[in-house]
Amino acid sequence: MALSAGPGQFMLARLDDVARWAQSSSVWPLTMGLACCAIEMMTVTSSEYDIARLGSEVFRSSPRQADLMIVSGRVAQKMGPVVKRLYDQMAEPKWVISMGACASSGGIFDNYAVIQGIDTIVPVDVYVPGCPPTPDGLLYAVNLIQQQIREGGRGGILARA
Amino acid sequence: MPTPEIVTQKENTMVLSMGPQHPSTHGVLQIVLEIDSENVVTAEPEIGYLHTGIEKTAEGLFWTQAQTVMERMDYLAPSSNALCYALAVEKLLGITDRIPERAQTVRVLCMELTRIASHCVWLGTHGIDLGAISVFFYCFDLRENILDLQEATGGARMHPNYVRIGGLNGDLPVGQLEKLDALIEKFPGRMRELRGLLQANPIFQDRTIDVGVLTPEAAIQWNVTGPSLRASGVAYDVRKAFPYCGYETYEFDVPTRDEGDAYARFLVRLDEMEQSMRIIEQARKRLDKPGPVMIDDPKIALPPKETIALSMEALIHHFKLISEGFRVPPGDVYQSIESPRGELGYYIVSNGENRPYRVRTRPPSLYNLQALKGIAPGNLIADLVVMIGSLDPVFGEVDR
Amino acid sequence: MPSTQVPPIAGSATDPPSIRPPIDDATIERVAPAQLRARLEALKGDGYAMLLDLGAVDYLQRKPRFDVVYHLLKLRPTKAGVAEVGSPARIRVLCGVADGERLPSVMDLWRSADWAEREVFDLFGIVFDGHADLRRIQMPYDWEGHPLRKDYPMRGPARERSPRPSFANKSNVVAGTPPSGRTLEALQEEIRRAREQ
Repeated sequence: MALSAGPGQFMLARLDDVARWAQSSSVWPLTMGLACCAIEMMTVTSSEYDIARLGSEVFRSSPRQADLMIVSGRVAQKMGPVVKRLYDQMAEPKWVISMGACASSGGIFDNYAVIQGIDTIVPVDVYVPGCPPTPDGLLYAVNLIQQQIREGGRGGILARA
Repeated sequence: MPTPEIVTQKENTMVLSMGPQHPSTHGVLQIVLEIDSENVVTAEPEIGYLHTGIEKTAEGLFWTQAQTVMERMDYLAPSSNALCYALAVEKLLGITDRIPERAQTVRVLCMELTRIASHCVWLGTHGIDLGAISVFFYCFDLRENILDLQEATGGARMHPNYVRIGGLNGDLPVGQLEKLDALIEKFPGRMRELRGLLQANPIFQDRTIDVGVLTPEAAIQWNVTGPSLRASGVAYDVRKAFPYCGYETYEFDVPTRDEGDAYARFLVRLDEMEQSMRIIEQARKRLDKPGPVMIDDPKIALPPKETIALSMEALIHHFKLISEGFRVPPGDVYQSIESPRGELGYYIVSNGENRPYRVRTRPPSLYNLQALKGIAPGNLIADLVVMIGSLDPVFGEVDR
Repeated sequence: MPSTQVPPIAGSATDPPSIRPPIDDATIERVAPAQLRARLEALKGDGYAMLLDLGAVDYLQRKPRFDVVYHLLKLRPTKAGVAEVGSPARIRVLCGVADGERLPSVMDLWRSADWAEREVFDLFGIVFDGHADLRRIQMPYDWEGHPLRKDYPMRGPARERSPRPSFANKSNVVAGTPPSGRTLEALQEEIRRAREQ
């Protein structure tokens, strides 16, 4: 975007850039807190780490109103179809953070009950390692998502899947 | 995925699924509700959405490795899972009397700090369910101090893996006692703030008084333990009934109420936080004297790192313990402790090998949550949210 | 791999007595399935009002195969202070169950047995007669097999096993091929050739 100084002047920008700037500045996550990582996700909304200053002011419970699904915690066999269904119900453009070792790859649970990585069921944009990752890690992941949006990943005025 | 018909719809009623993704169910819980306008006719909680196979995973790991998966069961109070497991295995090994005193004191300290941290999360999420959003921020700020202490001991904020079989994973780090003193000093002010936010709030009282009443008979039928049982009038606390880690030498009360409603459970938990701080102060005084924190048995405890380069026996013991682990004599034991949710019990069976044969958990949240089937019918859906919050389930424990 | 060695039946003569001090956590009793219901009713009448836990253990190579363990606590269902509660008596009732044998449900004695019995059915396959609603509780309803049995593979049945996450496929660590492409056979071939020279 090109900014000119002074009152009463025009600002020129590409529509896509403005849209991406708006989308990256207000990424609203979906409450997909499953296990221990969910507690760290709740801590990231608390006053010490404060994800609201990055634009994630509210965590929406309804997938229709959210942009970002932070899958935090181990995904059991029963929960897998639920995660997929919620991802399908989210409107475009949408992003997914796989928070923690269990969501990224099954973590320390290499057994019959845990789905070995949510990227076997939904496409993931950022993986956050840790068991659980510190809230700083999740903040960095949200920063990376914002970077991806601004620099040309999904997003923009004609966002498609 | 074919599902059985869990709740049948009668005339005038609607069957609704609350969860498994829901802001107020405190985790992955699905409640299949049969409702008549706003009133709940039947509530069938459906669990299993977080089943991780922890018990089966533990059967394939060494005794010390299994503790890491056990810690992830009740993820709000990880030290309590670790402590119960360590105590059970120590009973099987027969070394309960040889655990050093400083280790027991620090274990009590960790346990009570974890209890306060867990109750902070409970209060924060309970408040946020009812719309009192500021409580959440106050509680999580208090919790940060405790996580700071946990991080210094073990390196991880939430699953520090500090309590080990035989003692602890090393002494308290430098500066820990000063931080603890600072927390002890600021705690009464924080408790006053937390009480001031909700206790006399007429909206909170309206929403929680006479909601979800559990009579003592019903509570014992449903196998409810912990603060929910004590709020119904039965003062069963495992720390007093079957003391462990030297709890009989500490002075503390067991808060009890008679009403059995959600407000009583709220008050009991707040009182428990204060009693926990009382225990922490007593434990703090005992920590001025230095001492060993791990049992002096080379077959169970790892040798100090400095001796590995100097002593052949130390090197061999280190190698064997890491690559094979120690063996535990055959037998079975049931060990229970008072976790923030109730009586957490482990029934551990050993067959003489270096891995557990079976670790059966008695999860307090499973039985506390089951009581929902008894107390939910006849209430509003909004009351259901209050009831779940006041029973304080953690799904890592319910589903394991 | 989980162990399949058989521990001795609790309280049997092969229990090594002097390796450790006796564990005094509960009174231990063993009953046969035919007497289970009567014994539990007697215990409940005796004041054991709380069924602390109901679990099962799979002793694969022993007959009977399973042990269903009932932990009971003698707590009176009335308001009581700390001094009155005291140190309640604990009892552990073990019942040896063969594969395919059914046990009576105790849901009518203690309502908390509901989910506990469903879980034992789900994870071990032991059926409880008289249970109002015996269906799976932890695994999905159409799951086949009972996971906590000792002969159930840790990673699940082959066709149900979750595929590896996609980033594992993006690297060249796929299906056990080492990154350099040097499989065991190639390495052995190289050694053989080096020896021949």
